[in-house]
Amino acid sequence: MSRKEKIWWWVAGIAILVYCLFPIAWIVSVSFKAPSDLSNKQFLPDGATWENYRTIFTGSGGDLFLPALRNSFGICLIATAISCLLSMFAAYAIARLDFPGKKLILSTALVVAIFPVISIVTPLFNVWRQIGLYDTWPGLIIPYLSLTLPISIWTMSAFFREIPWEMEQAAQVDGATTWQAFRKVIVPLAAPGVFTTAIIAFFIAWNDFVYGISLTSTSAARPVPAALGLFSGASQFEDPTGAIAAAAVIVTIPVVVLVLVFQRRIVAGLTNGAVKG
Amino acid sequence: MTQTTLPPVEKTQPVSAPHGTISDRSKAERKLGWLLAGPAFFVMLAVTAYPILQAVYESLFSYRLTDPDNRSFNGLSNYWVILSDSLWWTSLGVTLLITVVTVLVELVLGFALAMVMAKALKSIRPVIRAAILIPYAVITVVSAFAWQFAFDINTGFVNRWFDWIPGISADTDWFGGQGTSLLVICLAEIWKTTPFISLLLLAGLAQVPEVLQEAAKVDGATWWQRLWRVTLPNMKAAIMVALLFRTLDAFRVFDTIFVMTNGANNTESVSFLAYRQTIARLEIGLGSAVSVLLFLCVVLLAAMFIKGFKVDLAQARGE
Amino acid sequence: MSNRRRRGLGGGAAALVLASSLAACGSDDGGPPTLTWYTNPDAGGQAEIASRCTDAAEGRYQIETAVLPRDAAGQREQLIRRLAAEDSSIDIMSLDPPFIPEFAEAGFLAPVPEDLAERVTEDVVQSAIEGSTWNDELVAVPFWANTQVLWYRASVAEAAGLDMSQPVTWDQIIAAAQDQDVLIGAQGARAESLTVWFNALIESAGGHIIEENSDDPEDITLGLESDAGRRAVEVMRAVADSGQVSAAFSTENEDASATGFESERGGFQVNYPFVYARGLGAVEAGSLEQSVVDDYAAAVYPRVDEDTPAAPPYGGINLGIGAFSENVDFAYEAAECIVSEENQAFYFVNDGNPASKASVFDDPEVLEEFPQAPVIRESLELAAPRPQTPYYSEVSGGIQREYHAPGSVDPDSTPQTATEFITAVLAGDQLL
Repeated sequence: MSRKEKIWWWVAGIAILVYCLFPIAWIVSVSFKAPSDLSNKQFLPDGATWENYRTIFTGSGGDLFLPALRNSFGICLIATAISCLLSMFAAYAIARLDFPGKKLILSTALVVAIFPVISIVTPLFNVWRQIGLYDTWPGLIIPYLSLTLPISIWTMSAFFREIPWEMEQAAQVDGATTWQAFRKVIVPLAAPGVFTTAIIAFFIAWNDFVYGISLTSTSAARPVPAALGLFSGASQFEDPTGAIAAAAVIVTIPVVVLVLVFQRRIVAGLTNGAVKG
Repeated sequence: MTQTTLPPVEKTQPVSAPHGTISDRSKAERKLGWLLAGPAFFVMLAVTAYPILQAVYESLFSYRLTDPDNRSFNGLSNYWVILSDSLWWTSLGVTLLITVVTVLVELVLGFALAMVMAKALKSIRPVIRAAILIPYAVITVVSAFAWQFAFDINTGFVNRWFDWIPGISADTDWFGGQGTSLLVICLAEIWKTTPFISLLLLAGLAQVPEVLQEAAKVDGATWWQRLWRVTLPNMKAAIMVALLFRTLDAFRVFDTIFVMTNGANNTESVSFLAYRQTIARLEIGLGSAVSVLLFLCVVLLAAMFIKGFKVDLAQARGE
Repeated sequence: MSNRRRRGLGGGAAALVLASSLAACGSDDGGPPTLTWYTNPDAGGQAEIASRCTDAAEGRYQIETAVLPRDAAGQREQLIRRLAAEDSSIDIMSLDPPFIPEFAEAGFLAPVPEDLAERVTEDVVQSAIEGSTWNDELVAVPFWANTQVLWYRASVAEAAGLDMSQPVTWDQIIAAAQDQDVLIGAQGARAESLTVWFNALIESAGGHIIEENSDDPEDITLGLESDAGRRAVEVMRAVADSGQVSAAFSTENEDASATGFESERGGFQVNYPFVYARGLGAVEAGSLEQSVVDDYAAAVYPRVDEDTPAAPPYGGINLGIGAFSENVDFAYEAAECIVSEENQAFYFVNDGNPASKASVFDDPEVLEEFPQAPVIRESLELAAPRPQTPYYSEVSGGIQREYHAPGSVDPDSTPQTATEFITAVLAGDQLL
C-alpha cells in the first residue's frame, strides 16, 4: 500500500471515529454544564460541574432515577435470561434436528421481529390493567420477550449450526457418558454463541421506550428511558436539560463497556443472525 | 449490464431420514424438535398474535376508557373515520418520507463505512469496529436527546458552528417547521442505525469471492466497474436483508419523534398517531383501529419486499 | 398421610401465599397504612410536606410520594390509566385543574366530605375554588394556585414611556417592545401552554372557548367564532408578527420565555412567578448580573381591550382523592394537612408556587421572598380557569393543533376551521 493510500485510510478511519463518537461526546459535555452554562452555545461547558450527577443520584432526581436504573437492569436481565433459555432449546432443535415446522418457527420469529410494537401496546395495556400486570416487572418482561426472542432464536441458531456436533458422538465413542459429552464438548462450543446472543438481546431490551412509557406509571417498574422524560428543573416550568444529559450518560456507560469488551463477538452475532441466520 | 456471480454452491444438508418413510427415529426427532422449540414458538405467538387479535376485536367498538358505559359496537366505522381523515394520510406520508430518506442514506453511507472497515489498516480496525458499535448500542431516546440539544436554539452549538452555511444563522429554529424538524429527526435516525446496516454489508462484502475480483482486475476493469459488476451483484442477498430489516424498522419510528417534537409541525408518524389515540386520549376503539392499520402497512411492506424484490431469506441465510 | 395433616399443610400454604401477597402490596404487617401521593415534579416541596404531614399524623398513617411526568397532559395520562384499572394504590393526586372535571365525571374522585369542603375553601381565592368544582360541587381540595403575570424590565418600560401603574394592553406592549427593540415572551409552543395563552386572550376579550357546556360531547357549543374569539386570534398574530418575539417562538415554552427575558434583549413576558426565583438562581450561579434581576417588575396580565379587565391564566394544583383508595378518610385528613396555611406558605417560599389561601400572601416571609406577591394575589382574583369539561384533553388538543403556529393563525379562517375540527373530534368523526 502506498504512503498516500495509507494516509487516506487513516483519514477515513478518523472520520468514522468522529462520526460515531461526536454525539456521545456532546451529551457528556452537556451533562457537565451548570444550568447557567446550558445556553452558552458552546460545545464545551465554561466550567465543568458534577451538579447534574448529584441531582440524579442524591438530589431531587434520585427518587426517580435510582429506582428506574434498578428496574431497567432487573427487567432487562430477566427478559434476556428467559429469552436466551427459550431460544437455546429452540435453536438446538433448529440446528440439530430435522422436523417439520422448522421454517414456520423461523418465519414466525421474523414476523415477530418486524411487528410494530405500538400495535401490541394498546391491547396489552388493556389486558394488563385487567389482570393486574400493569406497572409491574412481569408486565414489562413479557412484552420484552417479543423484542428479544426473535433475534435470539435467529442469532443462536446461526451459531449452533456452526458447531461440529459430531464431536459429541466422538466423545461418547471414546467412553464419555451423554452428560459428560454434553458438558465437556458441547457447552464450551455453544457458550460463546449463547453469550453473544445474550448481549444483543440485552441491548434490545435496554433500548425499549414504547413499552416503558405505556405500561408503567410509577417507580415500581418504570425503566430509565421512560424516566428520562420525567426529570424536572428547579421548578416544573424549567427544562431539566442537565439532569437528562447526566442520566443519559449513566445509561450509556453499561452498553459502551459491553461494546468495548465484546466488540468482536457482537459483530459476529449481528451479522450471523441476519445474513447467515 | 452483465453481472458476475458464482453459481450457487450446494450446501451440505443436515443428515436426515429420506422422505417418504417416517421411521420411528424421525418420529421421535419430530416430537423432540417441537418439544424444544415449542415453548419459544408459543411465547412468540402469545405476545404478538394474541394482542393483535385483541386489537382487531377492540377496533370494532366505540370505546373510551373514561367512559366505559357508552361502549358500543360500531363495526368498521373507526376505520372509515381514520381513512377519511387527512391526519392519517399526513402521518403515513411523513412515515414513508422518513423511511425512504433514512434507508437510502443509510445504505450509501453504510456501504462506505463497510468498505473502509473491510479495507482499513489492521492497526485501526478494532478501534473502528468498537466505535461503530456505539451508535448501535446507544439507547434511541438518548441519541434523540443528544441531537435535540445540539440543534436546539438555546442549548445547541449547531447554529453557531454552521452559521457560515447559507440559511443557518444564530436564529435558525430547527424545531419550528416541518422540513427542518424532519431533517433533524432523520439525521438522528441515520446516525443511530447506519452502523447496523454497515455491519450487515460488511458481512456481505466478505462473501464476495476474491477470485472474481482478481479476474476482473486482470481483465482491466476499473474500480467503479468492479463495484457495479462484481461486488454489488454478489452482495445482493446481504443488501436486500439489510434493506428489509431497516425499512420495516424505520417505518415504526416513534422514540425520536416523541423526544424531539412530540408530533408538532406535522412530524407525527403512524406509530405516534396510534400512541396518541390509545395511550393519550384513551380512545381504545379508534386507537386499536390505527394499530391494526399500522400492522397491515408493515405486512404489506414486508410482502412487497419478499415478492417484489425476491428477497429469499433462506438463500440469504445460506441454506 | 392423614386427612388432618394434609389440611394443615394446605392451610399453611394458603397462609404463606396470603402473607407474601400482602407483603407485595406494601401494607406491611398491621403497621400504619401508607398513603401514596402522586405529585407533579417540583423542587422537592411536596415531598417535604409529605414528611411533615406524616409526622403530624403521629403514626396513624404515612405519606409517600410518587412522581408524575412534567407536562400536564402526561400527568393526566398516567393517573387516568391507573384509575381506569381501579387501582387502589392511588390515594392522593396532585391534579392540574382543567382535568378535574374528567376525573370527577368518570367517578375517579372520592366525594369530598361536607364539613371538610367548608374548611378547605375558607379564605381561598375564587379561581382556585372554581378550579376544584364540577357540577356545582367541590370535588378536589384547593392546594396551590398559579397565575401568569406580566413581567417587564422596569428600565425598558420607563424608556418606552409606558405607565405601568395603570393596566396595559397587548398593543401597548408590542409598541413599547418595538420602540425599544426588546423581546416579548409568550408561550407559542404546541403544548398545553398554548391553550393557556389562548384561553387568557379569549377570556380577556369577554368570550369563552366553550360557550355552552354539556356532558354529551356532541352537544358542546364552542365560542371560538365569536368576536372575542377573533380578537384573541388577532392579538396572537400581532404578537407573533411584531418582530419582537424570539426566533424560536413556535417552540417557545415557559422556560424559553424566561431565558429570553434574562438575555440582553429581555423586555416583556407573560409567565408564571417562577421567573423571579430562576433569575435569582442565575445570579447565584454567576451567569446573570444582580442589576438585571433588580430591574424585574411584575404587573397584572395585559388587557386585550383597553376597557375590559384582563382575565389572567389560572393554573396550579388541587388535590384529588382516589375513588378506589382503601383509606379515603385518612387521605382526606392528609390532604387537609397538606393544604394548611403553614404548608402553603412553605411551598410558596420553597418552590415559588403561590398559595390558594389569600391570607398566605400577607405572610411576612412570603412578602420578603416574593415582592410580587400582591400582584400575584390580584391576578388570582381576576384569573379565569380554562374550560371545564370532561373532554378537556380533546378541546385543548384541538386548540393546540389549530392555533399553532401563532404566526400562521388568521382571524378570518382559524376560528371556523378550529370549531369544525374540534366538533368533529368530539363527535368521534376525526382523529386528534
